[in-house]
Order: sequence, then C-alpha cells, then structure tokens
Amino acid sequence: MTRYAMLIHTTRCVGCFACRVACQTQNSLPASDSFIRYEEQESGSYPVVYAEQVPLQCQHCEDAPCVSVCPTGASYINNEGIVLVNQERCIGCKYCMTACPYNARIQDHRTGEVEKCRFCVWHDDGSVPEPACVDTCVTGARIFGDLDDPTSEVSQAIVSHNAKPIAAGLTRAKIYYVR
Amino acid sequence: MTSRAHAKEGTGYVTVATSCNACTNKCGVIAYVKDGRLWKLKGNAAHPYSKGTVCARGHGYAQILYSADRLTEPLKRNRDGSYSAISWENAYREIGERVRAILAKDGPEALAIVEDPRPNGKYYSKRFINALGSNNYYTHNATCNLSLSSGYQATFGGTNFSADIASSKLVVFIGRSYGDGMRPSSAATLARAAESGVKIVLVDPRLNNTGIFASQWLPVNPGTDLALLLAIANVLVAEGLYDKTFVAEQTTGFDEWAVELAKYPPEWAEGITGIPADTMTALARELGAAGPKGVIEQGWRGAFGCQYRNSFNTARAIAAINALLGNWNRKGGALITHTPKAGALDAGKFPTPVQGPQKAGVTEYPLQTQDNGTNLIVVKQGIEGKMKGVFFYNSNAVKAYANPRDWKDALAKMELTVCIDVQMSETAHQCDYVLPECSYLERDELPEFLGGKQGCVAGRFKAVEKVHPETRASDVIYAELAEACGVGEYFRFSCEELARAQLESVSVSYDELREKGVVNLGEPFAYDEPPTWKTPSGKFEFVSQKIAATEGLKLYTPLITWVEPKVSPGADTFRLIGGKQSIHSHTMTTSIESLMNITREYALERAWINAARAAELGIADGDTIEVRNELFTATVRARVTERLNPTALWIPTHYGGSSPELRQGFGVGIPHMEYVPFDIEPDVGSAMTHEALVTIRKVSA
Repeated sequence: MTRYAMLIHTTRCVGCFACRVACQTQNSLPASDSFIRYEEQESGSYPVVYAEQVPLQCQHCEDAPCVSVCPTGASYINNEGIVLVNQERCIGCKYCMTACPYNARIQDHRTGEVEKCRFCVWHDDGSVPEPACVDTCVTGARIFGDLDDPTSEVSQAIVSHNAKPIAAGLTRAKIYYVR
Repeated sequence: MTSRAHAKEGTGYVTVATSCNACTNKCGVIAYVKDGRLWKLKGNAAHPYSKGTVCARGHGYAQILYSADRLTEPLKRNRDGSYSAISWENAYREIGERVRAILAKDGPEALAIVEDPRPNGKYYSKRFINALGSNNYYTHNATCNLSLSSGYQATFGGTNFSADIASSKLVVFIGRSYGDGMRPSSAATLARAAESGVKIVLVDPRLNNTGIFASQWLPVNPGTDLALLLAIANVLVAEGLYDKTFVAEQTTGFDEWAVELAKYPPEWAEGITGIPADTMTALARELGAAGPKGVIEQGWRGAFGCQYRNSFNTARAIAAINALLGNWNRKGGALITHTPKAGALDAGKFPTPVQGPQKAGVTEYPLQTQDNGTNLIVVKQGIEGKMKGVFFYNSNAVKAYANPRDWKDALAKMELTVCIDVQMSETAHQCDYVLPECSYLERDELPEFLGGKQGCVAGRFKAVEKVHPETRASDVIYAELAEACGVGEYFRFSCEELARAQLESVSVSYDELREKGVVNLGEPFAYDEPPTWKTPSGKFEFVSQKIAATEGLKLYTPLITWVEPKVSPGADTFRLIGGKQSIHSHTMTTSIESLMNITREYALERAWINAARAAELGIADGDTIEVRNELFTATVRARVTERLNPTALWIPTHYGGSSPELRQGFGVGIPHMEYVPFDIEPDVGSAMTHEALVTIRKVSA
C-alpha cells in the first residue's frame, strides 16, 4: 500500500509564504483563498527571544473528522491515504469545516465548494504526486513521501528527527512537525 | 513560441526556460504554459540562485502578466496632471524634439537615466544615454548598496565578496536577513549550515526572519554596528588573535590601524551599541579561534548598504576583520570569485558611443563606486535647475530612492521626464511621458553573466505572446527612441543578434542556453589562491591610499575610525528603520493581488515597536498609532514585539502606495521615504535612509 504523508521542519521555516503562493497557482485558487495558513509564535522577552512560523494545512488524518461528519460522502480518503472532496457530491453544508480541528478547510467564494490541500494529487503526468509546496520550499523545510515505505525520505526523517503531529491526541494526522 | 518550447506529451502544457524578474536575483525559472497562458513557474535547478525553487515574490509577480492594472498604451501628461493616450510615433517625435532642444541649450550633461538594472537595462539604458553624449547613467544603488560597494573598494579593491557559509564554523550577519531579502539558494545554504552546527550570529536591531537559524541575536542600537566591529577588531589585535602571516604578506597599514584601534575597546563600544562588553569580547575570541572559518558575512542593503552617516566605514571594518582573520579566499572564509564577461564584439555592428563628460556626482562624492553612480545627484541638480531631462526604466525612484517631495520638486523643474514601465508607478505619475513595456514573460532579453564558485550565463526567453498588443520590449523602445533622438546608428541590431554575438564570444550556443536556461562557464573557484588586490598598493589596505590621495573629503579619512551617526534618538523619539519582507520586492510587487492578500491577512504593513516602549506609551498590539516627524505624519497599526531594539521603530519599506492605478497597494501601510530628509552620505553618495527620527502616539485601540 501507499500512504502519503509530509514532514515540516519549522526549524527551517523562515515564513516566506512561497508555499502558499505556489499552492494557489498550482491549484488555480483565487488570490484571497489559501490551503495553507501560518501561526506565528513569539516567546521570551527582549533580548532573549525565540520566534517560529508554523505552516498549517489539511493534516490528511487517518481518522479524519471531516470525513465522518460529511452527510453525502463527498469527503473521503483515497486508497493512497489522501483526504479528498468529491465536488459533485458536496452540498456546501460546511459540517466538515466545523469538524476540522486544524481549521484547514476553506470555501471557494466563487463556487461555494469546500476545498483543502489535496497533496497535489492531480499532478502533472499521472505519476507520483509532487506537492507544489514541497517543490518550491526555498529552505527544504518540507518532505513528502510514502509512510508505508520505510526507506522513503519522509519515513526516515520522521524517525531521525522524532517528528510528531502538531497536536498530540487530536487525530491520527499524517503531517509530522519538527520543532 | 511553441517552436522554442518543449511540449510534454499528453500533459497539455509546454515549458520555457527563462528568468524571474521579481527582484535583482533574476533566478532561473521554468515557465509552464497551457493554451498560450502562463500556468505556473518552477525553479530551474541549474540556476545558482534558485537551485530549483521559487520564492513567493517569483510566483506572485508572474501575475503581472494578467493584471488589470498594467499599462497598455503610451501616455502623455496633460496640464492638469491627468494622462491621455498618445501614439508611439508622436511620443517618440515629441521626446526626440525635447532631447535635441536640451542638448542644444544645456549639453549632454543635463540628461540622465535612472534604472533598477535588469539584463536588457544594463546594456540598453547605458548605451542610450551614452549615445546622447552623456555619462549620467544611474541605478538605485545609492538607496541600496553603494556605501557597501564603495567601502569594499577602498579596502580590497572589489565591490563584493561572499562568505563561504557551507564550510564555515561561525558566521556573523550584520543586518542582513536571508529570510527577508531572499535569495533562495542562500537561504537553503544557511538552513543546511545551521542544521550541521555552524554557529550563526545575527547583529540586527530586529530579530529578523533569519532568526530561526541563529544561535545568538545581538540587538545592536541601529547605526552603531561600526562601534561593535571596531571593538571586535580591538580585541583581535590586542589579544593577538589575528593571522600574522596573512597580515604581513597581504596587507598594508596594519601598524597604523592597530594604534587607532586601541581607542575602541569593548567597554567603549558598550554604551554606544547597547551590547554588553563581555558579549563583544567573547564573540571576538570565538571569531579569532574559528578564523579562517569564522567570518563576517558580506551584507547587501541590510544595515550599511546606504543607511547611515558611517556606513562606508562599517563596510571597511567588515573587510578589515575578515583580513585580520586571514579569511580571504580560504575555505569557510570570505571569497572573491570571478564573474565571466562577454568578449569583444564586432565594432562595426555594435559601435561604441563616444565617451561623454564625467558622470555628474563623481567629483562631489569621490569615494563612490562609479559604475552605478549616485542617482541623488539627479534630484540635487534637478532642484538646482542644472539637470533638464531624465529617463526612468524599471524604477520607482520617486517613491523609493529619496524623499518623494524632493524628487517631485526636481522633476517638476525639468523639461523632459520619461518613464518606461509595466505599471503606473508613483514615478510614472511624475513624468511627462509614460511608455508601456511588455512584461518579462513576454520578451527576450540579453544573457546575464554570473560569478560565484562556478561562473555561468543565464538567459531570459519569451514564455507567452504579448497580452497587450501596444506594449513593446525595452530593447525596441530604446532603439526607436534613439532613432527619434538622431542617434539610431548605435541600435541597428536586434536583441537576439546581440545575444547570439555575446554568447558566441564565450563559445556558448544560443540554442543550448534557450534549452537549459543556464550554461556554466570557466573553471570552478579554487581555494587558497590569494585574491588580486585591485588597490593602489596592490595589497589589502587597512589604511586607504585612495582616500589619502583624494582631496576635499568632508568626512572619511584613510584610517577606519568611529564616525557618529547623523542623528540619535532621545527619550521621546525613535529612530525610524526599515527593511524588506520576503513577499515583496521594493515597491514593485505591491500591485500584485496574491501578495497583497498576504499583507492584509497577516497585517504585515504594521510598524514594529518594542514591547516595553509600547507599554510606556500605552500602546497595545494592533492599536493604531500616529508616526510623526517634521516631514510627514501618518497612521498605521502597531505590532508590539519583543523582537526589536527599544530605540527603533521598524517598518517594512514596501508600503504606503500613492498611485491610484495600482489598486492593491494604494493606501496600505506608511511610506518610509517620506520621513527621511533628503541628504547624501558625505564623500560616498548614499541616501542615509535610516537617519530619521520620529515620535509615536496612540490614536485608537
């Protein structure tokens, strides 16, 4: 099986927003809508201060609350572990937006459709997905790959960096963070 | 177009290797085009600056292609300040007549051109003004890195170097932030270096967005980096922590400078910089122990490119510390790499214009690197009535290069002002004629030669057909303007013919460059060869022989000494400092919808204020504050933070747009340069953009 996942090194993220704009372009999103948002954290007091940017997007949970609350089956998990929305079934009820603990879903203000990060599954040529956010990340803060392949870069990086989901015990998220 | 591009079977798109235009880096990118429309950009892995990635500016600025705010036809200003369309032919004829009148009455020295250089501009803008008999070619550098390049020239003869971060042990940044003023490959190198244990020290009044990689932040009082550097040099010399062989063999003036340095112990610098003496002593010892793998990074605009009335000496002090540490051309140290150039071309086809009188400003500011000049002389001589005509290309000088009111006064007195741009910038608004260029994705440009550890040449090739049929490429505009001014004989070749000739001169195939976007040139950089010092002495100069031989200097001396900043904040004032954000390129990208949406969503236009100072003034995060000085007053929201030196107010320098045609950026944030008094760094020519004080008060919660 293939089970796609991502690792984000916040210790490499300078908060440059390249991933947001690349994602918008790749997915033809309007300029006001983004699948990626950022939480900025500042701790300490002058002159000993630590600042961190945390990019957030769909965590592609294995127990996705958005999928279980969807009344029409529009939200689903595909056979590669990617959480997707079938727009032909979506009625725009926004249950999924409310259910997502990561606030990762958005509504396209033009169509009313609810959407979110899909790991760029509609990729260039039908082969392995290559998320635009990973491809464009200036500092190499993002790694994408198959969790079921223990030799994949993402599997190995999760182990070597002891990467963990952003919030313990919330869902079985498949975006791992190094902080 | 498709004949040049490479269609991928079954994918519905073609790709074109070209270069980004969102900032001066001009990174190599691959444009993906579907049905004749640009879809997206990806980084070109072969380009030394992008290494396969694209930053937010690069992705965002590509949207200029389809922006509703682009210039689509030539415009002429009416008496009431409004603009009407004019045909290209009539615009050229009228501009040509005015140029000839100025030449006849005031001579070529009354004409100038100002640009933010790009591949075509570097060649055509210079050639155009030279063809008119004038040497008055200026770039934005007086508001960027003129003090830095001039200071470096006075020590080692070159205008820049690069810290070998990947192989270093300790890298000290003076005000530069790879996470804000971004070059993708530099940020990537720094990320890897930090992860592999290279110690990174940031000297910056603001904990900038490179902070994630830093082991130590030294929040220096702005304008006093020079004192910190002199204190480090003091310790290195006093404790014998310098490379005595290098100093003996490769340098001159050491003994004299060592005497001067005795005045600057860390205890002296503590009160000036706000950094504890022990911290500076410890850093100096760490550098001494790490040299030649302990290095002061080269900077760019950062803290001493153009900001203070001591920036020139800050640059010299950085070069001198790297010399004390024996860093030059050593692995992990400070590298002076070679930049390849095109060879000689057929002088019959590409004739060189006759050399005109000396560039204005060189006599008054003799320590400047002269290639790019100081554009501030155009303002000064415009107000004095001496400069009569100016062309702007790819330049928002009026908003960004000096106080806008002084620019406006200067331009209002001139007899001819012309702006070539893709959008109706604040500068275009002050010009008699506005000529619309097609965007960088709709035109070919000349190849760009790049230095570094591996020299190369990069190309820019048209990715899509023109969106607006009346726009024209800069090489065509310059050639047609030249014909109208009676000097067309210098432009009777196409951009492609010139590109092919330049590439042939270095044995690179035009078709190979078009295919790959980047072709390497020459041998890789070799460590441990001492640089060729292009100084009067032929050595690294701790005491400048060029300065000793220059008469009439007002400020700087052959020795690298402490120089006070022009202004200093008191108990009730703040020094207004500014800097870049990673999503914007000067003021150019504030017209781009996706980038300005980020600004709005994350309130990035806010002014940063130190939390303790904010508390004293009753200001909470998000409050609206009034920022005032004798020149300008405006309101903006406050970002209350622990990440800023208490003597400073920091604002991003992109905002405060005042051109109504550029709807995205109009009225968002406050304009930095409105607060900066028009002034010029003595002897050097920079704009001293941080020599301004402001007061702050809370307006509303």
